[in-house]
Amino acid sequence: MRKTHARTAAVLGLAVTAAVPSVAGCSSSGSSPASSGPVTLAFVNWDGGMQAVVDQWNKENPNIQVKLSKPAGTGYTLYNKLITNNAAGTNPDVTEVEYQALPALISNKVIVPVDQYVGDLSGQFSKASLAQVQFEGKTYGVPQNICPMVFFYRKDIFDQLGLTAPTTWAQYAQDAAAVHAHNPKQYIGNFSAVDSGWFAGLAQQAGANWWTASGTTWNVGIDDAATQKVADYWSNLIQQGLVSPEPNWSPQWSTDMDNGTIIGWVSAQWAPNQLPSIAKDTAGKWVAAALPAWTAGDSTVGIWGGETEAVTSNSKHPAEAAKFVKWMNSSAEGVKLLIQNVDVFPASLANQSQDALKTPPPFMSDQPDYNTLMAQAAQNVRTFQIWGPNANVTFDAYSNDFAAALQNKSPLSGALTQMQQATVSDMRQRGFNVTTS
Amino acid sequence: MSAIGDRSGTPPPPQTLLDSASVQPVSDSPEPPARVRRRRHRSLLPLFLLAPAVLLFLLFTVAPGGYAIYLSFMRMKVGGGLLGDQNPTQVFAGLQNYHAAFADSEFWHSILRMLFVAVIGVPATIVFSTLFALCLDAKRARLVGFARLAIFLPYAVPGVVATLLWGFIYLPATSPIGGATFDYFGSRSVFFSVANVAVWGVLGFNMVVVYTSLRGLPRELFEAAEIDGASELQIALRVKLPLLAPTLTLVTVFSLIGALQLFNEPNTLKPITNAISSTWVPLMRVYTDAFVTNDIYKGAAASFLLIVLTVTATVLANAVLRRISRRSER
Repeated sequence: MRKTHARTAAVLGLAVTAAVPSVAGCSSSGSSPASSGPVTLAFVNWDGGMQAVVDQWNKENPNIQVKLSKPAGTGYTLYNKLITNNAAGTNPDVTEVEYQALPALISNKVIVPVDQYVGDLSGQFSKASLAQVQFEGKTYGVPQNICPMVFFYRKDIFDQLGLTAPTTWAQYAQDAAAVHAHNPKQYIGNFSAVDSGWFAGLAQQAGANWWTASGTTWNVGIDDAATQKVADYWSNLIQQGLVSPEPNWSPQWSTDMDNGTIIGWVSAQWAPNQLPSIAKDTAGKWVAAALPAWTAGDSTVGIWGGETEAVTSNSKHPAEAAKFVKWMNSSAEGVKLLIQNVDVFPASLANQSQDALKTPPPFMSDQPDYNTLMAQAAQNVRTFQIWGPNANVTFDAYSNDFAAALQNKSPLSGALTQMQQATVSDMRQRGFNVTTS
Repeated sequence: MSAIGDRSGTPPPPQTLLDSASVQPVSDSPEPPARVRRRRHRSLLPLFLLAPAVLLFLLFTVAPGGYAIYLSFMRMKVGGGLLGDQNPTQVFAGLQNYHAAFADSEFWHSILRMLFVAVIGVPATIVFSTLFALCLDAKRARLVGFARLAIFLPYAVPGVVATLLWGFIYLPATSPIGGATFDYFGSRSVFFSVANVAVWGVLGFNMVVVYTSLRGLPRELFEAAEIDGASELQIALRVKLPLLAPTLTLVTVFSLIGALQLFNEPNTLKPITNAISSTWVPLMRVYTDAFVTNDIYKGAAASFLLIVLTVTATVLANAVLRRISRRSER
C-alpha cells in the first residue's frame, strides 16, 4: 500500500513539474492570438500540382503556414461534408469551391464574406467572374480561374478522315455522322449523364438562364426554350447512335478515349490537366478548338467548372486565410505558380497576359497558342445570372433523369422537365420564394 | 476461484483452508458478512463485463438512432435574404418527411428494385453455399482445405474493391467475359449483375457456416445410412439436408438482412453506368437525401421507415422459416 502511495506521489510530482513550463509557455504568448506567433491554416484542394504553390507561400510566410490536404471525395462529396462538419466546427480554414456550389455553402453558413480582408476587387476581375463570387453585395472569395468550354479532338484521326474541327453544332452533327459511317465503332464524342456542369455549360452557350433572382424571389427555368434546344439536339444524335452514351470518368470511357474509339471531347479549359490520367498514351495528339457555335460566327461559350477559394466560418484566422487566398488567386507570383503547376487560366485580368501562359500545358505540347485560344474564349463567356441555392439537387436530378433517358432511349427533354420539378419543389420545401417562367 | 464461489453454507473442509486464507487475508472476520459481500460481487461482475458493450451500444447505436428519429420530425426553414442565410432555423415538421417518403413513388420503386436483387441473390446464396458445403463434406472430396479457402476468400475482399473489380469485368472495353457482345448493364440484366457481385462476396461466409454445422453433425448417422445402402447423394439429400434445417434458417435470415442493406455494390457501380440511379435501392436513397441533396431530415425519416420494414421482414422470415424447419424435422 505504502509503495503504491509513494509511486503515485512520484508520478504526480513529475506531472506537476512537467506542467509548469507549459503553463509558463502559454502565458508568455497568450494575449494576442491574431498578430503574434505562427498561424497554421488548413487548406483543402484536389487539384494536381497545388502543393508547389503552397510550398512557395510557406517559404515566404513563416508566420502563416498553410497545410494542404486532398479531400477524400471531390465536388459535391466535399461540399456536403463541409456542410455536415460545419455544425461540428471541424472544417478547414480554406477550401476549394466550384462556382456553382457557392450559393449552397453560403445558404448553409459554411463560408464567410471576405470583403473586409480582400478589399475592392472590381478593377481586377471581369464582371462575369465577380458575378460568380458576389451575392447581395458581399464577396465570398477571390476567383481563381475561368474555364470556358472548348472542343478537344484527335487531330491525327480527324486528318486521316479528311475532317476539320467543327465550327457550328450543325457541322458537329455532320462530322459525327461521317466518323460513324467510316467506322461504326468510332464516335466523335459522348453524352455524359454524370456531368451536370457540362450540360449546364452547353445550356449557357445557347442562352439559358436556369436561375434568375430579383429581390428575394427566385425564378427557375431549367426547362426553358434554350435548354430544350440543347437537349433536343443531343437527343437526336443519341437516337441515331452518332454519339456514345457512356458516362465520363468511367474505365470504359478512359479506354475509349485512349485507344481512339472516341476521338473528340466537348470539354473545358482544364482538360489538359485531366487528360494524362484519362488517355495517357495520346499526349500531343489532341488539339483544342473553339466550341462549335449555334450560329456561325457567334463566339459565345458557357463555362464548365471554375473555382474560387473560400474562407470557412469555422476558421479562427479568417484574415490570414483571406490573405493567402488573395495572394494565390490575384498576385502575379501566386497566379504564375498556378499557371505553371495547376494549368489554370487565371480569372485575374492583369495576369491573363503573363509570360507563363505562352507555354502550353505539357499534354498540349503541339499547340503553342493553346492559351491564346483560352484568352479569346474567356472574353466570350456567358453564364447563368446566378447559381441556385440547391444546385446540388438539380445536379443529382440531372444524373438520375438523364441517365434513365439514355438507358431507356427516351427523349432528353422529358428529363429536363423532371429536373425542373425536382429543383422547384425542393426550393419551395426549404422556404424560398420561387416562380417559374 | 469458482469452487469457492459455488460453495454454499457448509463449513469448509480442511484442505481448502489455505485457499480461503489467501483470498481473505483478514481470516478472523465473521463468516456471513464476507459471504454476502462475495455474492454481491458475483452479481455485479456480469454487469461490469457487459458495461463496455452496453455503453458503446447506447452511445453509438441507441443515441444516434434516437437523434435520427428526432430529426425525422424536423425540417430546415431558410432564413431571410436571397440565399436564406440570415438565421436559418430548424423547425418542427410533423409527419411531413414521412408523408414525403410514402408519397414518393421512387421510394417504393427503390424497394422493388432491392427486392428484385434479393429474389435473385438470396436463393442463389443459400443454394450455392449449401451445395459447396455438401460437396466439401462428401467422402470423396479432395483438396478440401484449398477449396474451402478459395470459396471463402471473396468474403475477405472489401465490397467496394470487389465491385470495382466486377465493374471492369462487366464493361465492354475491359470485359474478359464477353461484355462487348452482352450488355451487363441492360435494364434487366443489371439486377443479375448487381446480385452476382453480392452473392460472390457473401457466398464464402455462408458456406463456412453451413459447413461447420455439417461437421458438427453425428457421423454415426451417415455411417448407418451407408450401411443401409444409401448412396452419397442420398445421404446428402435425405440425411444431411434435413439436419441442416436450423442452420439454413439462420443463413436465410442473414442473407435477407444483407439484401435489405444493399448499398455498396450499386453505389460503386453507379458512376460507370446509366442503369443505376442515385436512389436505386432504399439505402442509396437515404444516403442521397442526407449527403447529396443535403436534406438530412428526409433521410432520417426514410431510414427510420426502412428500419421498421427490415425488422418486420426479419421477424416474419424467422417465424415462417422456423415453422418450415420444424415441420421438416418431424
